[in-house]
Amino acid sequence: MSHPASISRRAPWLAILAAVVLLPVFVRHAIATEIWIFAIFGLGLNLLMGYTGLLSFGQATFFGSAAYVAGYILKYYGTNVFVALAAGIVVGAVSAAAVGYLCVQRSGLYFIMLTFALNQMFYFTAYQWTTVTGGEDGMPGVPRPSVLGLDIHAPLAYYAIVAVLFLLSLWVMKRIVESPLGKILQSIRENEVRAEALGYDVRTMKLAAFVVGGAFSGLAGVLYAMLFGIVPLEAIGFVFSGNVVFATLIGGSGSLYGPVIGSFVFIWLSESVSTMWARWPLLLGVAFVIVVLFFRGGVVEAWARFWAWRAAPRATAVVRPDASH
Amino acid sequence: MPLIRTEGLTKAFGALTAVNGVTLEVEEGSLHSVIGPNGAGKTTFFNLLTGQLAPTSGRIVYDGRDIAGTPPHEIAHLGIARSFQRTSIFPTLSILDNVWLAAFARHDSWRGLAWRRADRYPALTDKALGALKDVGLDAKATRPAREISHGEQRQLELAIALAASPRLLLLDEPAAGLSPDETQKMVALVRQLKGRYTIVLIEHKIDVVMSMSDRISVMHFGSVIAEGPPREIQRNAEVRRAYLGGITA
Repeated sequence: MSHPASISRRAPWLAILAAVVLLPVFVRHAIATEIWIFAIFGLGLNLLMGYTGLLSFGQATFFGSAAYVAGYILKYYGTNVFVALAAGIVVGAVSAAAVGYLCVQRSGLYFIMLTFALNQMFYFTAYQWTTVTGGEDGMPGVPRPSVLGLDIHAPLAYYAIVAVLFLLSLWVMKRIVESPLGKILQSIRENEVRAEALGYDVRTMKLAAFVVGGAFSGLAGVLYAMLFGIVPLEAIGFVFSGNVVFATLIGGSGSLYGPVIGSFVFIWLSESVSTMWARWPLLLGVAFVIVVLFFRGGVVEAWARFWAWRAAPRATAVVRPDASH
Repeated sequence: MPLIRTEGLTKAFGALTAVNGVTLEVEEGSLHSVIGPNGAGKTTFFNLLTGQLAPTSGRIVYDGRDIAGTPPHEIAHLGIARSFQRTSIFPTLSILDNVWLAAFARHDSWRGLAWRRADRYPALTDKALGALKDVGLDAKATRPAREISHGEQRQLELAIALAASPRLLLLDEPAAGLSPDETQKMVALVRQLKGRYTIVLIEHKIDVVMSMSDRISVMHFGSVIAEGPPREIQRNAEVRRAYLGGITA
């Protein structure tokens, strides 16, 4: 609970604000938008993976379910954006509660396999239920209605909406990880038996992490559907689940800003390098190997180590930014 | 009035009966030690009291109600706190957070659970710091728990139990793995706690408990073979055969 100087506490926010403002200047608007959407998705996963120590390989379940439901009501009932967003958040949270309830009964490898298997169940349901989801073709024609009379069809206008929601999500997540719940989840990651002995119902707490993570995934899912005007089948597939794990690990799992950086690296690489070089996943693979071998805390750790090294060039002390940052 | 008593408490793992019909009473405010050689079933007995294991048969009556089979997180809320024989802390969290989490768990209300900043509970932070002061770790409160020495981690282990403001404190070999010097310090610490809490102390080193216990129960092969005040235990022939003799002879 120690607090560094207030300047260093504000620095990440200033950096992120600058990134939010500058990104659309340098990057195509759709890609810039996708980066913040994916960051919201990553924030949700990070609460599970980074803070609670639960490696969920099924986050697309909540992302995709929310995208389909919100896409459906936008398309066929012409609901307004707020209703669609609220519906997506609720669908994300409720599907995460159902999936999470089953998954937290087991731990370790069995837990991971359950998240994966349930994701596959949702995937094949979406694949088969063509009348609603469009199956392999996806659900096209998701509209992007006006917000309070403002037309958001222009890419930059939509970018602004997403950026605001991203900043809001980041703030909410910051409050959660700094709250008692955030500490409790970290204690479960560190030592489940002890957390239980202190009086915390470990399963219920894990479920809470699932529900919150699911709500964030759901929000991201709706924004994704409105960004591309379609819910592709992949949005509920395991590759998508894997991608968010991947991005979060590269950025730094267990630190608040890790998934934001990870999302930036992942989406930017995949969208910009992929047009130049078809074998771009190789690059991601190399990045992943470097992270796993040398910087288990991702870019965030590499950054902290660099500054520690600069500050004390002789000392070989390794500073690992822990979740409690 | 005993604060806790067990009646015919038994735990079998297949053919092995680790705890066999243990009947025991702990008076409120006393320090009651449970001694015995390795593998006598002492830690299993603790795991039954704290709900980590469910008994095969028998009763555990705490403050007038049967708590056998109650899960650990509910046991904690009844005011039973334990320390572990093998250090069980939260390594990457700060020392203060380790203790704070114990205090928060037992806080009367969990208002602000997912929203209020954890450092905005001044009463809990004070309580956590108080527990650290009791064991002499308050100066290192902001250090990550994995960075302190083994001896200090044993002290932290104790502070975590204290921060839960327990009525019943179960200490599982608090001096395990400590040097003679550190053991002295730990014994002094436990002695200070005597009277403030009802304490059940598991110990392997018999000399540690003789001087400070009000009563001693001796376990051997899962059963209590003797019980009484320290002087009686020292004289008991059966205890000597089972335990003391095994070490000194």
